[in-house]
Amino acid sequence: MINISQNLSERYSAALAHYLSDPDEDVLNQAYELGRKALRDGLGVLDIAMLHHDALQAVISGQSRAEMPAPAIAKAAAFLTESLSPFEMSFRGYADANARLTVVNDSLLQSQATAEAAHRELEAFSYSVAHDLRAPLRGIDGFSQALLEDYADKVDEEGRRYLNFLRQGAQQMGRLIDDLLGLSRLARTELSRLPVDLTALVRNVAAQLRNAEPDREVEFVIPDGIAVDGDASLLRIALENLLGNAWKFTGRRAVARIEVGTMSVDGEAVYLVRDNGAGFDPAYEVKLFGVFQRLHSTHEFEGTGIGLATVKRIVNRHGGRIWAASEVDCGATFYFTLGERIEKP
Amino acid sequence: MSDKFILLIEDNPSDEALTLRALKKNKISGNVVVKRDGAEALEYLLAPRGETGLANPLPQLILLDLNLPKIDGLEVLRRIRADARTKLLPVVILTSSLEDTDIVRGYGFGANGYVRKPVDFVQFAEAVRQIGLYWLIVNESPPTI
Repeated sequence: MINISQNLSERYSAALAHYLSDPDEDVLNQAYELGRKALRDGLGVLDIAMLHHDALQAVISGQSRAEMPAPAIAKAAAFLTESLSPFEMSFRGYADANARLTVVNDSLLQSQATAEAAHRELEAFSYSVAHDLRAPLRGIDGFSQALLEDYADKVDEEGRRYLNFLRQGAQQMGRLIDDLLGLSRLARTELSRLPVDLTALVRNVAAQLRNAEPDREVEFVIPDGIAVDGDASLLRIALENLLGNAWKFTGRRAVARIEVGTMSVDGEAVYLVRDNGAGFDPAYEVKLFGVFQRLHSTHEFEGTGIGLATVKRIVNRHGGRIWAASEVDCGATFYFTLGERIEKP
Repeated sequence: MSDKFILLIEDNPSDEALTLRALKKNKISGNVVVKRDGAEALEYLLAPRGETGLANPLPQLILLDLNLPKIDGLEVLRRIRADARTKLLPVVILTSSLEDTDIVRGYGFGANGYVRKPVDFVQFAEAVRQIGLYWLIVNESPPTI
């Protein structure tokens, strides 16, 4: 770069000196040609402008101004203006681009500020949901219970039934709030991807389910050695929901069976949880993963309708996908990927 | 009032009544003093009597809500711990919040326990029973000043 520029500088100075002493169209064209060559050689616009300036400086200081005829000085000035104009345009373009970039940058900063404000608002919202919405529920539940205990002799059977409905409603809403808070907490936790022993995690969750309902007969099929790359605590929440659903929806099976597996589709690892439970109508598959969406009445199976929305969010945060296949009364299978690197065959 | 008593710092009248009911149902003996905001609670605890000592007897246990009017629960806790006369008092945070930041800050400011109030009164009463049993009967309190 230095060589090119030194060489060009000298030739440019010579061309300029020549032109100033002998204004000739050809010499001017030669000077322009040098400029274009410099651009082709990869010299920046700024470099050429500097070169131009230096060359002109050299020409002017090389001769005493007194010796230089006035028309030559005027010519030099005109030449300077004229020959700089392509550079000036480039600079203008550069300045324009820079200004536009600043505008884009400003609007980005603004969006970021807006996003941060929205995030803070969400934080404040979930905080007040936790605090302020739960307190009245506790009152509704607690005083219904107080009436049941202290005024049992003054309330008839029907009245007691209503009071129990009040309690159930309050408790259900408490669970909804907790699940919603869990969902919003998911969005706020950082994802830390590490090797996870999925088999161990599944066995652990299965044992947890067995402990909660030791009377149920459920056969688990869990293959050895399923290893994944993912966030262990988020995967545990996802598996608690998937296996918990399988456990819940096989509740009316004499022989309940829950199977976990893995397979490779186009080099990508797909994980599955299959049960032989109540299943769902495939026509409603799109609603399956929405918040508060339930495909069974609370009479049939309990739930808040947040579990699969939670699982989907966890899978998405891993860069994976989730889908399901089922027929009514023929069990359900949930498939998911975790956005792991696809292995080349 | 020389007996063991609990100081309940709680601004929600419904939660106050439920906590008192749970204590009563579980036959947790002794009085309960209730203060309904952070400033009132600190005034009660730290009001001086003459040059030394305190105007009011100290409770054996403080049940502290976090979301309080005027001075919030964590600040109340910080000031209790900052004063030599009250810094050893057992304080159990009894709140609706299950935010990690509240739990971490609660312990960070020197809480002895952190219990989330359940919506289900049966569970709530059981939590209050266990807290009362542990702090008033099982646990040895720090010697009074």
